[in-house]
Amino acid sequence: MANTQAVCNSFKTEMMNGIHAFGTTVTRGATTKDTFKAALFLASATINKSTTAYSSTGEVSGTNYTAGGVTVTNANAPANASDTSYWTPSASFAWTTVTLSTAFDCVLIYNSTQGDKAVAAFTFSSQTVTAGNFTLTMPTNDQTTGLLRIS
Amino acid sequence: MLVHTIKGLIERDQLSVKDIVTEDVNSRAIATEWYLGDELVRRDVAVSLLRGIGLGAQQESL
Repeated sequence: MANTQAVCNSFKTEMMNGIHAFGTTVTRGATTKDTFKAALFLASATINKSTTAYSSTGEVSGTNYTAGGVTVTNANAPANASDTSYWTPSASFAWTTVTLSTAFDCVLIYNSTQGDKAVAAFTFSSQTVTAGNFTLTMPTNDQTTGLLRIS
Repeated sequence: MLVHTIKGLIERDQLSVKDIVTEDVNSRAIATEWYLGDELVRRDVAVSLLRGIGLGAQQESL
């Protein structure tokens, strides 16, 4: 027998589930999932690793776009495979018949249940939309490509 | 078939369509541009995120 230094796989998944708190934290009032949202940001905005919470500063605006973005569909529980915990929204993000005339290239996922705290930003090639649909399709939900992965 | 555009509903046959594909490391985007003559009257975009973000790396020895 031998011991092996490691971060436990269960812990990685439990972090995604909000089980552990090394510092002071919020008092969770329920065992239900938080609500996450996805908002689009202009190419001229400065969303990055230092972003701590959603703000409408730099967010896109236009016909049929509601500030704050759309609610993330979350039917996937965090899972673990090959020592990596992962989670991906279970549906694409979609905006229908929008006009977004100023170039945008970023989506911010944030936790609207916990004070709009930022989760992650994802960038793509700069786009505009004219009287059309904008769809952001999620990657495969696994340990290799999942949207959020902890290894 | 009628297509919703900035000029209202227009018969599909009157429009020309151009797809523009752009790709980077983490995403692929397909923009579909609809033209009435030379005028852009609708633009749809479908972005596929190919890969999310991974945190950290397993450390097994010091």
